[in-house]
Amino acid sequence: MPAATLKTADFVLHKVAQSFGLCLLGFILKGFYEILEAMGMASMNSSGESLKLCVFDLRRGQNEGQELDKILFFYPPDVTFSTQLSVIGLSEGLITFTRLFSPEAACEVIEAERHSHVFHEAEPDIWMVMVVEKNKEIEAIWRVDALQKVLKEVHSLFVMFHGSIRSLLDKEPSGGLIRSHFYPFITDYLNDLSVGKKLQLPSFRETLKERGTVQMLTLARDAALEVQSLVGVLDSCAGTLRCHSVILFHDLLVSTTLSPDDTVDLFTFSVMRLTSNALSSGTSSWSYLRKGTSLSQTSSKSTSPQLLVSSDSLPSGNGHDAGRVIRPLQHNKWIKGKDGFLVTDIWGKDATPTIWLHQRQERVHLLAYQHKCLTLVLLVPTEAIVNGELDISFVKHQVIENATAKILKVEEKLSKGWGGENAYHVSGYRYLLVDNDMEVSRASPSGKVATLAKETLLAVNKLRETVDTEKSRTKEEKDMEICIRAKNNAWAIARVTRGKELYMALEKASDTLLDATDSVQSFSNRYCNGTFSMD
Amino acid sequence: MKEKNSTTASTLGRILATCSKQAKDYGSCVASKVHEVEKDLCLKEFLALKNCMQHTVKIMSSRPSSSQTSVGSGALSHAYIQHPSLHCNIPESRGLFYDDANRLLICVTSSQVFSWETAPPFNPDVSPSVDSVPEGPILSVRFSLDEKVIAVQRSDCEIQFFHRETKKKLTHKCRAGSESILGFFWSDSPLCDLAVVKTSGMDLFACDSAMNLRLVETKKVNVNWYIYTHESRLVLLASGLQCKTITGFQLSTAGVVRLPKFEMTLATTESNSKPIISAGDVHLVTVYGRIYCLQVDREAMLLHTYRFYRDAVVQQGSLPIYSSKLSVSVVDNLLLVHQIDAKVVIIYDLFVDSRAPVSAPLPLLWRGYQGSDSSSQAANKENKSPESSTSNENIVMYEDAWAFLVPDLILDQTNKVLWRVHLDLEAISASSSDRTSLLEFLQRRKLEANKAKQLCLGIARALILERRPATQVTQAIDVLVTAYSYSVKAGIYKELKNEKTTATPPTDGASPDNERGRASGSSIDGEEEVEMDLPSGSSDEQQESQLSSPAISPDELYKFVFASVEETMVEESDYLVAIITEFLRSISAEKLKVDLNIYVMTVRLLARSKRFAELSLFITNKIIEPSKEVALQLLESGGQNLRVRKLGLDMLRQLSLHHEYISSLVQDGYYLEALRYAQKRKVTSVRSSLFLEAAFASNDMQHLAAILRVLSELIPGFKETSEYYTFHGLLNETSSSVAV
Repeated sequence: MPAATLKTADFVLHKVAQSFGLCLLGFILKGFYEILEAMGMASMNSSGESLKLCVFDLRRGQNEGQELDKILFFYPPDVTFSTQLSVIGLSEGLITFTRLFSPEAACEVIEAERHSHVFHEAEPDIWMVMVVEKNKEIEAIWRVDALQKVLKEVHSLFVMFHGSIRSLLDKEPSGGLIRSHFYPFITDYLNDLSVGKKLQLPSFRETLKERGTVQMLTLARDAALEVQSLVGVLDSCAGTLRCHSVILFHDLLVSTTLSPDDTVDLFTFSVMRLTSNALSSGTSSWSYLRKGTSLSQTSSKSTSPQLLVSSDSLPSGNGHDAGRVIRPLQHNKWIKGKDGFLVTDIWGKDATPTIWLHQRQERVHLLAYQHKCLTLVLLVPTEAIVNGELDISFVKHQVIENATAKILKVEEKLSKGWGGENAYHVSGYRYLLVDNDMEVSRASPSGKVATLAKETLLAVNKLRETVDTEKSRTKEEKDMEICIRAKNNAWAIARVTRGKELYMALEKASDTLLDATDSVQSFSNRYCNGTFSMD
Repeated sequence: MKEKNSTTASTLGRILATCSKQAKDYGSCVASKVHEVEKDLCLKEFLALKNCMQHTVKIMSSRPSSSQTSVGSGALSHAYIQHPSLHCNIPESRGLFYDDANRLLICVTSSQVFSWETAPPFNPDVSPSVDSVPEGPILSVRFSLDEKVIAVQRSDCEIQFFHRETKKKLTHKCRAGSESILGFFWSDSPLCDLAVVKTSGMDLFACDSAMNLRLVETKKVNVNWYIYTHESRLVLLASGLQCKTITGFQLSTAGVVRLPKFEMTLATTESNSKPIISAGDVHLVTVYGRIYCLQVDREAMLLHTYRFYRDAVVQQGSLPIYSSKLSVSVVDNLLLVHQIDAKVVIIYDLFVDSRAPVSAPLPLLWRGYQGSDSSSQAANKENKSPESSTSNENIVMYEDAWAFLVPDLILDQTNKVLWRVHLDLEAISASSSDRTSLLEFLQRRKLEANKAKQLCLGIARALILERRPATQVTQAIDVLVTAYSYSVKAGIYKELKNEKTTATPPTDGASPDNERGRASGSSIDGEEEVEMDLPSGSSDEQQESQLSSPAISPDELYKFVFASVEETMVEESDYLVAIITEFLRSISAEKLKVDLNIYVMTVRLLARSKRFAELSLFITNKIIEPSKEVALQLLESGGQNLRVRKLGLDMLRQLSLHHEYISSLVQDGYYLEALRYAQKRKVTSVRSSLFLEAAFASNDMQHLAAILRVLSELIPGFKETSEYYTFHGLLNETSSSVAV
C-alpha cells in the first residue's frame, strides 16, 4: 500500500484520491485538519520563524500530563511548550489517523493554507516533522520531496555519528541524552542552511539538484586505475583487517569502498566539513548543495536550556567528560596538520573521531588526509585499534609510508583532467541526472542553472513534484516521460527509466515538442550511454 | 603393492645415503629454528637437499649400475657442463684448435685436419669432416669464413693456404728476422678478408676467389701479443714493456675502426714493481651486444672491466678475484668468472650497474644425462665404445689442460672432449631472495627462454599464493609487463599459438608441482616430485628451440597466474582484486591488451566478496572493459544484487548485443520493454517464440495472453503462424483447466 500523500492543492489531491478511490478520504482529512486548525491547535503565527522542525517519539508520553516527554527536539528552541505541543499534537493526530488507512506508510505531507507539514518517519515511531510557512514570497515554493530529503539527511548524519535515536533512548530512557545530542547537532546542521539571518530551505531554485546523492568525478580509465591502485594500498593500511576508504577531489567523489548509503552520508559530511573547499571556510565553495557556511550565530541559541525537560545536561560541546556532548558538525573545527592529516578537537584532545557504518553495523575510526584538493577519508575498523592513539599513529604512518607516492600521482592525474566547476556543463541544456541505484546525481553547475528564468524553474519544480507523486504511488520501477511547456515557452522534460531519472529545462522558445525530444535524445546518447533513449 | 613399497624405500634409502650431508644440514637447520619455524625458513638447505635428491634419482634412473658418477655430486651449483660432450679423440692427434669465426673444433694430425661443428646441441655421433694438408708443423689453423680455404700457420714467418675444392696452395711469408707472425684471422669487413698480426703491426689482406692475396693496408704498431674474438670483431694489440698499452681495431662489416689507445690498470707491489700482462690475462667478452674487455690484475686481485664505445674506452669498475688462475665464459649474456684455483665459478650480470655477483660462488658441476633423453641416451651409450664412458668418469674439474673457448665452451685437452657450459636457472632463482630483481634477471635470459618463462610464472604465482604485500607483487608484475612490452616493441616476442597448445599442458601440470616443492619447504615428497619433473624437462627442451624470449604476455599471465590461483584464493578475493587492479594498471600504462576473461574474473571476485559498490565503480570507470562475457557474468552475479544485474543489462544494451539484451529483459519479466526494444532496433534475430515461451514458463497466463495479443498486433499475419496456434491452444487449455 503506497503512502497516502495528502495535499490540499486540488489537482494533486484529486489525482491521488482518484487513483486510490479514496476521494472521500481526502475530504475527510481536509475537514479534519480544518477542524484542528480552527481549534487553534494548528496556529503557527506566534513566532517570527518561518520554519519549525521537531522530532518526537510516539512511544513516549502517552499519559496525560507527560506529553512533554515525547518531544525530543524542537526548533526554534524559544517557542513555548504549548506551541510545541500543539504542533506535535497535530502531527501525531494526523499520523494516527492516516495509519488507519495506510499502516505501512503514514502521511508524508499536509498542505494547509498557510503551512506545509512535511513528515518523515526516521525510525519506527520516531518522527521528524518540518513545518514551513507559506508566505507570499515567491521563494517559498518548495518541493515536498526536497524538504523530506533534508529531514532524511539530518537523521542519517546523526545516526552516522551517534547511532540510532532509539539506541540512545534505550541507553537513557529519560531522554536527556538524546536531547542533549539533538540540540547542538541539528542547530549546527541548520547553520549550514542559513543565509544571513534566515534559514534558506531548498526552494524551487534548487530544483535541478538532488540532496542525498553523491556527485562523482568522471575518470579516464588510466586515472581510475591509479585511483584503484591507491585504494588497494589504503585497504591494507591497518594490517590484515581491511580498511574502507572514500576519496574526494574538490567536492566530487572519486572512489568509495562503502555501500551507497554509507557513501552518501560520509560524502555529505566530507563536503560539509572536510574537503579543501570546506576547510577554506566555505567562501569559495561552489558545491551546489552547500551555501557559504559559518555565517550565522544560531549556534549560540542551542544553549537555551529552558526548552529542555531535563536541563541538567549541557548541550554545548565544552562540558566535562561525563556530560560531554560531541558536536560533529561544529564549524571551523578541522585543521590540516603538518603531516597532511586533518585534525580536530571535536572528539576531545588527540581523540580520533569514530562513525557508525550502517551496512557493516560497526563503528570505525575516521582518518582524513588531504593533499591539495584531494581528500582521503580512511575508515579503520575498531578491532584494528587496540592500543588507542598508538595504533592510530601507526596507521597514519603506514598511509604516509605506502600511499604518499600514489596520492601524489593520483592528485596529479586528476588535476590534469580536471575541468573546473563547469566541467559538467552541457551548453544549451540545464539538466539533472539521478541514478537511484547508486545514489548518484549529476547536474548542470548552479551558476548555469541560475541563468534560467523563474518560470522555467517553477515548471521544472512542478514537473518534479509530479514525478515524485507518480513514484510514490508505486514502489515498482517504471518508465515515464513527461514534457511540460512553461509560461515562457520553455520546455521542462522528465524521463524516468529503470531507476534512473533525467530532468531537463530547455529555454529555446522556438523549439517544438519534437525539437525538444530530439534534444533529450541526443543528450541521452551522448552523456548517458543512451539510457534515456526511449523511441 | 608391498613390493613396490619396499623398492621405494630402498630407493629413498640410497638417495638419502647419497645426500646425507644435505639431509643433515637441512635437519639441523630446522631443528635449530624449531621454535621460530615458518615457511621458507630453511629454504636454502631444503633446496640443496631437494636438488641433491633429484639429481641422484636422475642419475640412478639413467645408469642404474654406477653408484657415483657426477663430479662434485650433490653440490649445489649454478653452472654445469652436461652430457653429451663432443669427442674429438683422433689417434695421433697433434693438437686441438678452435676456429671461433666458424665455430669449428679442429683437430690436426701430421697430414690431416679434422673439424667438428660445435653449434648446439652437440651431436656425439657426428663424424668430423676431414681435409688433407701436406705434412708439416701446425701452429694454428683457421678456416676462411666461407670455409673454402684452410689457413695453417707453419712457423712464425709462414702461413700456408689450401683451397679445399681446387686444392690450390699458397704460401705467405713475412720478412724473417725483422718481424714474426703472431697469428692471423679471417675478417668479413669490406676492406679486407684476412688480417695477419705481426710483431711490427697488422697487415690487412684482400683475398679473391682464386686465392690471391693482396695487401690492402698495414697498421704499424709494436705488438707483443694480441687477442681477437670473432663475435666482437675486435682485435687488441698489446705493446709496451708491461704490455699494458692497448691499441684496438674493430674489423666490422662497417669497415675498420681504430679505437683510441688506452692503458690498462696495473697495481704494483714492492715485490713486483713491473708486472707484465700476458695475453691470457685479457679477455674480450660480448654481453647484451656490448663489448667488454676484462683484465686480470694479479697484484690487486681484481678483474678490471673496460667497456668499448665507438670513440672511447671506459673503465667500468672491477670485480674481486679469488684465484690467480682465472678464465671467463659468457653464457646467455652472463659473465661466468671461473676461479680456477678455488674451483668455483662466480656469475655476474653486467647489465645491471651493480657489480655484485648474481649468486654466491659455487662449483661447476658435471651432469650426466638429463630429462627424458636419458633412456635413449643410455641406450646409445651402451652401443658406444667403452672408452667414452670411462673418459666421462675421469673428469677433473678445472684441470690444467682445460681451455676456455669463446664464448661458452670448455675444451678438455686431456680427454679430448668439448663441453658447453650451461646455467642452472632453477638453482639461481632458488637461491635468490629478491624476487623483483630475480624476475628482471630471468626476463633477460634468452638461451633457455622457456625455462626462464616457467620460472617467472612460478615466482609470480608464489608471490600471490604466499600473500606477499601488494607492493612487492606489483613490482614483480611491473617487471614482467614492461619486459613483455619491450620485447613486443623490439619484435623479439612471437606468439607461438600452434606450439603452445600442444606444449602447454605438460608444463602447466609440472609447474605447480615445482611450485609446491619450493613453497612448502617441509614435505619431502621426493619420489613423486621427481617423476613429475622428468616429462616436464622434456617438454621444456622441445620448447626451448621455439621460444626466443622469456617474455610473458598478459594473456599468459592471466592464464597461468591469476586463473590458476583463483581457486585457492577464494577466501582472499580482496587481496586478489588488489593485485589484479595493479596488473591492469601496469598493462594500461604499457598500452597492452589482456584476455577479457580477467575482467570476468574480477567481476566474479568482487561479487563474491559482496563489494557491489566497487564493482559498479569498476564498470562505470571502465576499469573492467565492457564485453559480452563481462555483461553475462554481471547478469549471473546480479542474482544476488539487482544493481549489478542492471549494470549487466546496460552493458548489453550499450554493446548493441540485441539478442542477449532482449533475452535478459524477457527473463526478468520485462516483456513489453523487450518487445518495444526489439521493434525499435528492428531486431529480427529474436524469435517471437522466445517471448511466448518465457511468458509461458512464468506460469502467468495473463502474461502469455498479453504477449500473444501484442505480437498479433505487431506482426502482420502472426495469427496464421503455428506459434500462435500452439500458444493460443496452450492458453485455452490452461484457462479451461483452471476453470474446471
